[in-house]
Amino acid sequence: MKKGKNVTVFLMGVLLSGLLALQSCGGGKPKEPTDESGSSFPRTKTLYLAGSQWGDPNTFNPLAESWQAAWPVGDRFNLMYEPLLAYNSLDGKIEPVLGTLVSKDNDSIVVDLNPEAKWSDGTPVTSADVKFIFELGRRFKNAATAFTVEFITGINVAKVDVNGVSVERLSFIVDKKGRNNPLVILDHLQAVRIVPAHVFEKLLSENNNDLSAVQKLKIDDNPVVSGPYNLETYSNEKIVVKRRDDYWGAKAIYGGKLPGPQYIIHPIFKSNDHFAIALQKGNLDASQTFIPRIWLKKKDGVSTWKADAPYYVPGSIPMLLINTTKAPLNDKNFRRALAAAINYANIKELAVSGYSPDIQPGLIMQSGIEGKYFSADDAKTYGVTYNLENAKKMLADAGYRSVFKSDGSLDYMTDKAGNKLPTLSIKSPAGWSDWEAMVSIAVKGMRDAGIDVREGFVDAGLYWPALPSGDFDLIMHKPAAAVTPSLPWSRFESIMSSRNWVPVGGDNKMNENQGRYNQPGTKEYNKAVDSLLKVIPILSDDAQLTEAYRQLNKIFMQDQPALPLCHLAEQYYEFSNANWKNWPDETNPYAPPLLPWIGASTKILWQLQPAK
Amino acid sequence: MLKQYPTLRYILQRGGWYFLTFLVAVTINFFLPRLGANNPVDIIMGKSASGLSAENARIKEESYLKEFGLVKVDKGEIVRNAEGKPVKASGLEQFANYIKMCFKGDLGTSFQKYPKKVLDVIAEAVPWTIALQLPTILFGWIIGNVLGALAAYRRGVFDRVFFPVALLISSFPFFVFGMLLVYYFAVVLNWFPAMGGYAQEIIPSFSFEFLRSAAYYYVLPFFSIFLILAGGQAIGMRSMGIYELGTDYIKYAKWLGLKESKIIAYLFRNAMLPQLTGLALSLGTMISGALITEMIFSYPGLGMAILTAIQNNDYPMIQGCTLLITISVLIANFTVDILIGFLDPRVKAGLQIGKGN
Repeated sequence: MKKGKNVTVFLMGVLLSGLLALQSCGGGKPKEPTDESGSSFPRTKTLYLAGSQWGDPNTFNPLAESWQAAWPVGDRFNLMYEPLLAYNSLDGKIEPVLGTLVSKDNDSIVVDLNPEAKWSDGTPVTSADVKFIFELGRRFKNAATAFTVEFITGINVAKVDVNGVSVERLSFIVDKKGRNNPLVILDHLQAVRIVPAHVFEKLLSENNNDLSAVQKLKIDDNPVVSGPYNLETYSNEKIVVKRRDDYWGAKAIYGGKLPGPQYIIHPIFKSNDHFAIALQKGNLDASQTFIPRIWLKKKDGVSTWKADAPYYVPGSIPMLLINTTKAPLNDKNFRRALAAAINYANIKELAVSGYSPDIQPGLIMQSGIEGKYFSADDAKTYGVTYNLENAKKMLADAGYRSVFKSDGSLDYMTDKAGNKLPTLSIKSPAGWSDWEAMVSIAVKGMRDAGIDVREGFVDAGLYWPALPSGDFDLIMHKPAAAVTPSLPWSRFESIMSSRNWVPVGGDNKMNENQGRYNQPGTKEYNKAVDSLLKVIPILSDDAQLTEAYRQLNKIFMQDQPALPLCHLAEQYYEFSNANWKNWPDETNPYAPPLLPWIGASTKILWQLQPAK
Repeated sequence: MLKQYPTLRYILQRGGWYFLTFLVAVTINFFLPRLGANNPVDIIMGKSASGLSAENARIKEESYLKEFGLVKVDKGEIVRNAEGKPVKASGLEQFANYIKMCFKGDLGTSFQKYPKKVLDVIAEAVPWTIALQLPTILFGWIIGNVLGALAAYRRGVFDRVFFPVALLISSFPFFVFGMLLVYYFAVVLNWFPAMGGYAQEIIPSFSFEFLRSAAYYYVLPFFSIFLILAGGQAIGMRSMGIYELGTDYIKYAKWLGLKESKIIAYLFRNAMLPQLTGLALSLGTMISGALITEMIFSYPGLGMAILTAIQNNDYPMIQGCTLLITISVLIANFTVDILIGFLDPRVKAGLQIGKGN
């Protein structure tokens, strides 16, 4: 008994002391990225922005895949590593960053490298750096930027004299035998960030020329960058970048001025609601997150680009892709009936909080830069709008018949030959609430029209593989999401191109046109689609371009290979004037409605002023 | 052989069973995620392949398969079949490789958080998880049980007020209670921060400033778990206590005229035994994190890492986390098994008889 008691006391003691030890170190973060300790960032010098980093920051390596690298290295952010050019999605102009666009034709795109551009270690940014990243795909097939070599045959460098200054002039030569697409090269020039070749060549030679080994490095310790900010510290809760007071562009681009905020902090939240709370409380200055019913936050000082609905500038089109190889979805009359059965007004009001304009049929947005290609007449003549009676009539005309149960609810559908059709399913990732709402509204309308279809909300782990392999009836997707100079061509290309057409089955994958529309070699194959997609990137005459887009959009509306649901902002842009003021908006549109690290919006950082 | 040391024999016997359980659990943890039809590279390619030609997409996919050890590799090159397609590494080969790596103390590299090591992800998250969970579970357990025992023994007004309140609190779902706390104390009253583990303008370090900030941010997440846990424990303890009150030994003790405190001590000790097993289970699973709490408060921790790993079929991350959970559940249960050996007179008596043989 006595012995037992001692052991009990001992074990309790172990537990307790363990608890105390853990408690004392509990709050401590295990790893510190820098040796700076406990210092604060004064609110008046610090900008808090969010919406570009969602999980733990894993690597800051600019050679890693863009989705792997953390903000501001991944994606198309240009705070640390800069692109040659920046695209202004408001006016369609190309603005200078490391380079200046000189000319663009069907043979080459010519860019002058800014002779003032310098890396943070003092060495100049040269054509060797540009060639390194754009041609990395020739040396290593697994390079993240390997896509560039499909479009350019090479980069010619010449020394020219511009206003008495010797400048490196780079000509990106269009691969005419290959993709022959100067439009996409322009995309690349503002998406690919230039990295210091002298640093990465050294790392490559230290790692036996093994790119995978170099991609594993985190490059988070005082990296050599050219941009206005550099990595200060990071943890799983936030990433901090600090202004570089020796940034080359201050003198060369911004007339000797440095950006306003000394620090930019990107907090990492685990739930969407926290962005709204933080904005309302003034803990966040701007964000790019979907916040439902944004008008309710106005009283707390949260603003958007437009003061009234639709609040945001449309940039991308969430849509239902249709598997056109499967009966009855291979029948374009059936697909058009689907389009007529969707209540687009309900999707706009109920699924996306009214953040979409009233949409017109087709793949071209009515407003913004691409608005000039839109034809209202064509939309009226060839397009299908929401009309249940019309949908039912189209189905009946095409020989489809709906069979109802005795209680009046839909049982199944039969085809022309009277055979029972299987229930169709719309795949969408479970938990993406706005997409789920869109799908539910579409399903409701289709069932009302007598089409036997159901929601198929699946795990994201099943959704992503299903898309390229064509393992779906209908599937939610947002093609050509990034706002780039190549829109709306890239949207048509990613839905209608048969360039890489392979049938569904086996290991076959298609990374565009996942609905397998327009199969080459069949009698239904419409050659015009692929030739229009090929010719648009090399057209420079505006009238010809408009005509080509009209033709393509007409075919889209007639064949309906996909069902556009609404026009959403690609980058939701909300801001608060509580701590920093002079954000661009519709009345003061000096930069596009994006966070100040994307494209031409970086200049916002030079315009912001402390509010107090 | 160990007949003269029944306690040691008991511990070794238990330990043996636990080791066996461990082996089975590790095997199941390894193969379960691989049973599904989807594979992690497909998920990654969904994000990496846009804009690539079919040929380059295939090359990239193969480089991932090789990097993640999902295909056979010979002298740095992928082994191919007659059609030129990569030969997939079988489950057993991957398992053998996994065990080999485990013995080297390497849990592998996360697919989804590439190039982060699984061990690093765990090391960053676990201190937060333990700091949040261990005190809440222990205090919740102790306070809940003391209150429950008191309610059982005292009855009367205390019990009539206490019992419905405890019932109400404990039947709140975690997320509802957490959100109510955030809404009232963070948004309406503005007493406590709504989210995060410490103030955003602070860099974590062992400074007073940081610890104070962490403590301030700790309050709401702590109470969101603590109150519900304590309520649940109190209800369990109260019914156990009431049951024990009706037993012969308590009646006998009362009849003998023992001091009340002595009787409560006996009562508590016996009623506690099932509660102790419950404690072991919650301590064991605490490593898996308080996912809901993490999401409601954007609190650092392992729960979110496990969720994203499972959603993305991140095999090494799932394996690493389940290994950790397995070990901690088994250790917690083993500890309680041993404790019960000393605390439960019946088990002890069994051991004494063992000695007699």
